[in-house]
Amino acid sequence: MSLTTLENYFLPGSGGEVVQLLQEYGERAMILAGGSFVHGLAARNLLPGVDVFIDIQKLGLADIVAGSGGLEIGAMARLADLASVSEIREDAAWGALSDALRCPPVQIMNTATVGGNIAAACPYFDLPTAFLAIGASVRTEGSSGSREIDLEDFFTGLFENSLAQEEFLTGVALSRPEPGSASAFVKLETNANDLAIVNAAVHMTVDESGACQAARVALGGGVNEIPLRSAAAEKLLTGQVITDELPAKVGQAVQADISPMADHRASAEYRSAMASVLTERALRSAIARMTGGN
Amino acid sequence: MTSSTTSTTVLGKSVQRPDALDKVTGGKHYPVNVTLPGMLHAKLLRSPYPHARITGIDASAAAKLPGVKAVLLPQDVPQRKYCPVYFVPTLAPSMVQDMLIMSDTVRYAGQPVAAVAATTAAIAEQALELIEVDYEELPAVFDADAAMAEGAPQIHEGAENNIAVNPVVAFGDAEAAFEKADHIFEGVYETQRVHTCYMEPRVCVVDSDTGGNLTVHSSMQHLFGLREKLAFVLGMPESKVRVIKPAYIGGGFGGKLDIGYIEPVAALLSLKTGRPVRIEQTRYEDFISTTRNPIRVYLKTGISKDGRFVARYAESTLDCGAHATHGAEVINVHGMFGILLTYPCPDQHWEGKTVYTNNMIGGGYRGYGSPQGAFAVESQIDEICEELGFDPVEFRLKNSYHQGDPHPFNPQAKLDSYRFQDCLTQAAERIGWSSRKAAGSDQGVKKRGIGLGCQPIWVSGCVGFPDIYEHSGAIVKLNRDGTADLSTAAVDLGSGQITTLCMIAAEELGLEADQVRMTYADTDTVPFDAPSHASRVTYSSGNAVKAAAGQARQRLLEVAGGLLEASPDDLEVCEGMVRVKGSPDSQISVVDVVTRAESPFVVMTEEGPQPTNLEEKGTIIGLSSMAPPANPSPATVEFVEVEVDTETGQVKILRVVFAHDLGKLIHPAGAEGQVEGGFQQGMGYALMENLLFDPDSGACLSSDFLDYKMPTAVEMPPKIESIFIESNEPTGPFGAKSLSEPCVTVPAPAIANAIYNAVGVRVRELPITPEKILAGLGKL
Repeated sequence: MSLTTLENYFLPGSGGEVVQLLQEYGERAMILAGGSFVHGLAARNLLPGVDVFIDIQKLGLADIVAGSGGLEIGAMARLADLASVSEIREDAAWGALSDALRCPPVQIMNTATVGGNIAAACPYFDLPTAFLAIGASVRTEGSSGSREIDLEDFFTGLFENSLAQEEFLTGVALSRPEPGSASAFVKLETNANDLAIVNAAVHMTVDESGACQAARVALGGGVNEIPLRSAAAEKLLTGQVITDELPAKVGQAVQADISPMADHRASAEYRSAMASVLTERALRSAIARMTGGN
Repeated sequence: MTSSTTSTTVLGKSVQRPDALDKVTGGKHYPVNVTLPGMLHAKLLRSPYPHARITGIDASAAAKLPGVKAVLLPQDVPQRKYCPVYFVPTLAPSMVQDMLIMSDTVRYAGQPVAAVAATTAAIAEQALELIEVDYEELPAVFDADAAMAEGAPQIHEGAENNIAVNPVVAFGDAEAAFEKADHIFEGVYETQRVHTCYMEPRVCVVDSDTGGNLTVHSSMQHLFGLREKLAFVLGMPESKVRVIKPAYIGGGFGGKLDIGYIEPVAALLSLKTGRPVRIEQTRYEDFISTTRNPIRVYLKTGISKDGRFVARYAESTLDCGAHATHGAEVINVHGMFGILLTYPCPDQHWEGKTVYTNNMIGGGYRGYGSPQGAFAVESQIDEICEELGFDPVEFRLKNSYHQGDPHPFNPQAKLDSYRFQDCLTQAAERIGWSSRKAAGSDQGVKKRGIGLGCQPIWVSGCVGFPDIYEHSGAIVKLNRDGTADLSTAAVDLGSGQITTLCMIAAEELGLEADQVRMTYADTDTVPFDAPSHASRVTYSSGNAVKAAAGQARQRLLEVAGGLLEASPDDLEVCEGMVRVKGSPDSQISVVDVVTRAESPFVVMTEEGPQPTNLEEKGTIIGLSSMAPPANPSPATVEFVEVEVDTETGQVKILRVVFAHDLGKLIHPAGAEGQVEGGFQQGMGYALMENLLFDPDSGACLSSDFLDYKMPTAVEMPPKIESIFIESNEPTGPFGAKSLSEPCVTVPAPAIANAIYNAVGVRVRELPITPEKILAGLGKL
């Protein structure tokens, strides 16, 4: 697709209209949120057959609401809006998200949306990895009503997600974390406006004895076609008392769960090596946060 | 700084750049903003194949699309072979004339094969999809060595083994000298294809009139080169082409030193339609329009026991892609200023090959072959020092040229203002060279190291180069309000040429910097000028501006002398007044002198009509058109401190110290800006920039800055320390010579040497990616 050959552009006022348009245009239609990645996809011929945009900016969906159960983030909230939420900035449990929100350049922070960042199902983005680690789910609306999908069930392939044809993403839900939790995210990039070569995020909850009660280890940036969790690393971490040797072992453990891609930005071997290094670094950073550092 | 520099009142101050406010508020005078009434927009159809013969084109459907006004096909285009390079005569024997605006043979993926002009760019783009081209594919080759091998596809008729040019330069007897060397070192150093990444795309608007005259607006570095090349390819007299000087352009860096396809195509479409035609390239089109040529250098050096160069031998293979373009000259500058002339050595032999492949074409880029040479030479010097236990600073000091030596490129001239040793010792002291650790000895996950790179010999323009234009002109006109207008064809690329030249004129005229304004110019109204390139504008254009201003000043003093009844030789200009030296009461304002020069012959006074002096009449104006007297060499040294992450291979630049003998510091902030911008480009070259190609089709895979990575402000070191050594160049305007390109050349070897010092890993292939460092550390 080239933007000059766009056939139609819609600005629906309700979710119902969006669903109707999706039904009418099928694969020709794409939901437009912030629009920051449209050129990137179009220039690489990654929008074949798409010639209709459904811009959902009139739907609202930009609120971020903190409740006792957690945080409800509207799909159209900008990354900058999310970064300004004090609980995200201050709660060590959500440190990974706060770290990830420090990566994009200002222009992306001000235009890209939380929903678009997830729905694009791009393995090189930062937010999906951070959200996976802190246990997010997504909310959707479609022809058969609304539903909630665990984020780890959402990504199905390179630029592919589990949304049905007539369904779109309306928000992201975050549960309030257990006490004693901390998380961190790290990214490897070539320059400050790069997509991740590899990124990693670790979330952990530690009990009073200093043992890790629960852990989530997530990786992205081409360690697979989708951002993923490492069951092997989580298993190794869970139940362990945190020692100085542990992070390197957890870093090594992710090897069991990744199958890195090779492209012009990095070889599979390099991504593989970096997955361990970054996991170790994310874990060390989360531990430091747990023990009072930030 | 030395006491020998010329005393000045305007030069040496960081006055506000006259174009600064306009640029930070949007820069409405960039060529990309030019629009004319009735203007059409054109787009180029490009070949998907790297090597093919066009057997048929059907553009009838495109021509019928509503909004399409004209279609241009190879058969509509004059078949005059040309070399696109601006700064040489079109048929210069040292260059290769192997291009056509459109041809029925395609030699690289992306070569234009047709064009459409329409009322909007979108319609033109849509029309391209309706053009049907039949290609007969031909075998293609994408590697210079493979292209030279027997049986390789022939890319241009008559180019044996696909070699476009094959210069050989030798001094003394290198073969015999190697026999006497105590140590011999050899290595292969490779560089990649990179783009200058100017911000403003290549863009032009060409209009025609009923007499077939063309008026051209373009984002380019050379008015007269564009006029000459455009007239040639269209088979028109030069006087029918008028090129308008842009107030400034959005960067060039050598990337806008040749005529693109867009200007001739827009011209032909304008002649066809009688309407102005605009073409603006996309970033992808820019990527495949001009690049710094990749060069592979085999370098062999013979060293004596006491650490002196005794013999050097080098072979350089330059992949110029489908057409020679700049490659016929880049290889020579590379061989001379990148290798042979860098340090004195009596016996040297170098052979260069510019080789055709079916890759995209190359072009100009700051340093012009020298960065590829410096990476090889400066890397190998550090390898020699490491192996033989010499200090890299001492080694270079021992092996360098000295002030007063004959100029190695132009032996009848001397290195009068040359201060390489001072650059080296002062910068070494500033970075703390004496406390440098042994290679790889720093402890921890992140290791630090210091390295240096030098450009010992460089140019201030092109005097002495065969076939290259090197003269400049200027017009300086005094206004009745006491200000002056400066008009010259020298284009400001963003590096402050307007500021520098206005300051030089102001200094000569005795005015303040902001009393001189750079004004309109086009090829009809100002003298010929060579391009803004080759680090030449301050020196060459500066000399021309000084001469024109001097002439205007002389006339000002003559007229004032008549009014003050004093000899012009006894007058001086300062603070807006012309004064008799030593008699401050005898003075007249510049305003009154200029006004009097332009007043009617008879003026009405209270006493009735009074005749004035006929001899004082006439606008006070100075004109120059001249070649500069010489080509003085500056010297450049840069030290870099890096931190290498031994787990990820990532390199962080911590500190940069740069030293340069620029003759006279004209605008300190502008000079620092040159160093900083140059470092950013050189750092990108060293660590990350790389145009990527499909190995099967040769198609460029880098479509935008998502793929093509260059350093942002975030990767830059917090501070770059510049040491400017004022050395008073006797042939320069107020003692000035060049700065410019060496700022881009030295970072890559300095960074490579610093990485070696940090982690003990020697990478001989740019860019030095984290993967290459990790592989060197044995971790991949």
